[in-house]
Amino acid sequence: MNTTPRRLLAGTVALATALLASACGSDDGGGGQSAGNELTMMVPLFGTAPDPGGEVHKAVEKVVGKKLKITWVPNAEYQDKTNVTLASDTIPQVMVIQGKIPSFVQAAQAGAFWELTDKLDKYPNLKAKSEQAERNASINGKVYGIYRVRPLLRSAVLYRKDWLDKLDLKVPETVDELYEVAKAFTEKDPDGNGKKDTYGLIIPKWPTPVFCSSSPYNVVETWFGAPNCYGDRGGKLVPTFDTEEFYTANRWLKKMVGEGLVNPDFATLDSGKWNDPFVQGKGGIIIDVNVRATQMYGLLKEQDPEKYGDKLAMGGNLKRSDGQKFSYPFDGYNGFLAVSKQSVRTEAELDEVLKALDRLATEEGQTLLANGIEGRNFKLENGFDVPIGDDDPAVKTINNDVDFAFIQLGTWATIGMGVYDAMPASEAEQENLKLRKELVELDLQTAVNNPTLPIVSPTYVSKGATLDPIVSDARVKYLAGEITEEQLRAEVERWHESGGDQVIAEINDLHAKLGGS
Amino acid sequence: MATDLAPPPVKAVPDPERGPARVPIRTALLRYRWLYLMLVPGLAYFVVFKYLPMYGLTIAFQDFVPFLGYSGSEWVGFKHFEELFTGPDFGRLLSNTLILALLTVIFVFPAPIIVALMLNELRVSVLKRSIQSLIYIPHFLSWTIVASLTYLLFAVDFGVIANFIHEVFGGPRTDYVAQADWFRPIIIMQTLWKSTGWGTIIYLAALASVDPNLYEAARMDGAGRRRQFWHITLPAIRPTIVVMAILTSGNLLDASFEQIWLMTNSLNRSVADVFDSYVYYIGITQGAFSYSTAVGLFKGLAGVVLIFGSNWLAKRLGQRGLF
Repeated sequence: MNTTPRRLLAGTVALATALLASACGSDDGGGGQSAGNELTMMVPLFGTAPDPGGEVHKAVEKVVGKKLKITWVPNAEYQDKTNVTLASDTIPQVMVIQGKIPSFVQAAQAGAFWELTDKLDKYPNLKAKSEQAERNASINGKVYGIYRVRPLLRSAVLYRKDWLDKLDLKVPETVDELYEVAKAFTEKDPDGNGKKDTYGLIIPKWPTPVFCSSSPYNVVETWFGAPNCYGDRGGKLVPTFDTEEFYTANRWLKKMVGEGLVNPDFATLDSGKWNDPFVQGKGGIIIDVNVRATQMYGLLKEQDPEKYGDKLAMGGNLKRSDGQKFSYPFDGYNGFLAVSKQSVRTEAELDEVLKALDRLATEEGQTLLANGIEGRNFKLENGFDVPIGDDDPAVKTINNDVDFAFIQLGTWATIGMGVYDAMPASEAEQENLKLRKELVELDLQTAVNNPTLPIVSPTYVSKGATLDPIVSDARVKYLAGEITEEQLRAEVERWHESGGDQVIAEINDLHAKLGGS
Repeated sequence: MATDLAPPPVKAVPDPERGPARVPIRTALLRYRWLYLMLVPGLAYFVVFKYLPMYGLTIAFQDFVPFLGYSGSEWVGFKHFEELFTGPDFGRLLSNTLILALLTVIFVFPAPIIVALMLNELRVSVLKRSIQSLIYIPHFLSWTIVASLTYLLFAVDFGVIANFIHEVFGGPRTDYVAQADWFRPIIIMQTLWKSTGWGTIIYLAALASVDPNLYEAARMDGAGRRRQFWHITLPAIRPTIVVMAILTSGNLLDASFEQIWLMTNSLNRSVADVFDSYVYYIGITQGAFSYSTAVGLFKGLAGVVLIFGSNWLAKRLGQRGLF
């Protein structure tokens, strides 16, 4: 083409740019978030977003003493949204950070969030109740948030009790017994329909390729004596897949898969549908967390309101064949509340925000977040939370707002750890709650702790996303029989060569600097 | 079409070699002011939403930390590109993306042409129209729905297709959606189901514009159905096919992200990872903004090469290209 239209184009572009620039200019300086008496937050959501004019919201505002502006983000996309928010210029004052994800670590180390080490002790309700959990939640010893507590040990195994009873089996104590139960569930027609249409263990597609992510695989490997993520072997921290126990555990699992004792779609079953095969009577064993029992009772009740109590049995961590027991503990926290430096600019403002959070962390505040409003949606009976007024739509709203939204702001009270425990609906559930507490006490004695929880290796931050899937995918392929053990070992080797060795070196270094243990 | 708006012919000596004679810019602006004014919103759209954001591509050459911003982040040159090209994933990503692109060219691109030609041969217009409407309905379903349907159809214990394969061919029940070997066929089948009907619209329009006199003349000369098809129908839609081919080639590397993301799992990741899903996974879920921008930029450049390449090829083969 000739030059005329091109010059014209340039002119138009210049004009449009100028217009755009002026439009943006008028908006400048609007980033001031710390407007006096308002607290902005970003919090994960598990249901529908609470109405800012709702009873719970108002009550929380009253406790905090500030107007709350909460951005509720559906949990499924919370990490994406966190990343995008960190990259934007409107960061809320307080953000729930769901773990030490790379983008947060980078942002925190660049100074985007307040370091709170030694600052929290001044606030009576924010002072860490467990030094260990606070340390675990830190980034190489530096605290960047108020951790949200979770039970330190949650792993448990759920069984179909009616199947166990029918086949005259008991809740397994060892991995060998678990294998026998899975085999019987598969081959001995536990549902009595005359067809061989059941299996033992139910494993879903694990939603993240992150290697250490409390998956059933992680739990089973620990039972066999492999380290929990990283462990001390000969004075050096090594990843779990560098130990022989890792291979022993997976050989055991592979045998189960090969014999059809595990659901055939274990690589694709949506983890949101994990309960379905159990409830529908297709599979009979789930290795997960003990609070899943509460969920499961609810589902079984929908199906059979009469005898649902006889359908669920629970056991703790299992011994390996030689009788030794290694239990899988959890991190003791699930993310933390971090304070942005971009929207909370001065120490004085920080103090304001922390004071507000401190008021939220009082017994009154945590009860509100985890249980609700006393006299509205629950009453106290022998120290138990007993739901009231379930049929009232207004009370239903309160329950939803609490259970699926505000409980996420709880720092020392949370799901299954409310200020007051929920009163179990049936005898079976009451028994289960008691058993849960006993098993936790028992298994804590054999818990295999992950010494690298407070440690964040820089190479892992930059390369973890490409490193993690190498071994987690290879493991699933091995279990499915697509690759041999030699090929699995070769993939582990590839992990080492692709940057894993560097991660190990850094972890050992940082571990030594943090003073071991 | 726009003849009403067309300005009076310019009084200048037309030069057949150089096209219309030059007109001073001011005269042109003044004379065609309304047309140019109508151009402004379109141009502004492209500038604001397509060109200005390209400034963000600079983060591919930085260790970008959002808190430090564009100016505060450290410049690292081609580090991220080096990491991509030497890293363990590049070969796999490139071959997966290219193989899917190739399969798309072979199976997906011709499908609407074939269907359109077949529909064109139907003489009962009610039937033709209802088939056409039926086959383009899937276009309006989201990939999420298509993926869920696929999972249901292939479900190990009750999926219709899984059952069918099991009954007809025997063999053990398998989880087809989990198998690497089945990944590409399933992706291509999904795309065919979803996009073929919609794609026929443009070809049917092209076919409708063929002058019926041509057919009549051919019949007079004794041409049969096949000859008419070969010498009239096909040449008539050839320009449309070429333009569609060039346009498609630019998008070839945009292997449909949503579709692939929804169908990926541990067992098929080795064949499922393509540039788009990788950029999402690394960039959005893991927060490696700079690295994923570098990957995306590379993919964009490869797309540009493909467009120019196929345009050049079209011209080489004696067709009119796009530009």
